[in-house]
Amino acid sequence: MVTAEQVKQYIAAGLDCTHLDVEGDGHHFYATVVSDAFSGKRLVDRHRLIKEVIKARLLNNEIHALSIVKAQTPDEWRQQQG
Amino acid sequence: MDTQQLIKQTVTENPVVLYMKGSAQFPQCGFSSRAVQLIKACGVNKFVTVDVLADPLVRQGIKDYANWPTIPQLYVKGEFIGGSDILAEMYQNGELQTLLQEFAV
Repeated sequence: MVTAEQVKQYIAAGLDCTHLDVEGDGHHFYATVVSDAFSGKRLVDRHRLIKEVIKARLLNNEIHALSIVKAQTPDEWRQQQG
Repeated sequence: MDTQQLIKQTVTENPVVLYMKGSAQFPQCGFSSRAVQLIKACGVNKFVTVDVLADPLVRQGIKDYANWPTIPQLYVKGEFIGGSDILAEMYQNGELQTLLQEFAV
């Protein structure tokens, strides 16, 4: 069974992240992703970027489901941390 | 009319459309239910829902239309906004309220 740490490594391998947090139970995972790559992109395109990185592993069901909790730029992330 | 044309007509002729499993009153899936709750939480009570379980052609067709693999899917003024994760994140940061403001009662 795939672990949250592995899912984190899969995402990090395909997307340059300044902050990346993945939680999950082996089936359903929850990711918070902060990356410069999201600048100027709508949320839907940010989610597409993340899903694209792990697409093969979603299709072969190695990762059953990934919910994206947040997909923010470093600026948005900093503002929100206050 | 083929399915893609039908979908295009539906999302352009109605300002707020949610493709979902079940109806707003009786959602058949937790993600669809969450999407309905988020739209209502923005004060929008009148919006069109399309039950994809009622038509296999639409169920597949809507995934092709948006090039997005999952349901629910929200469209506002013809534009694909996202699924339930995206609606939740937009609601949290206030974007969804802004987007739907003009349709709130």
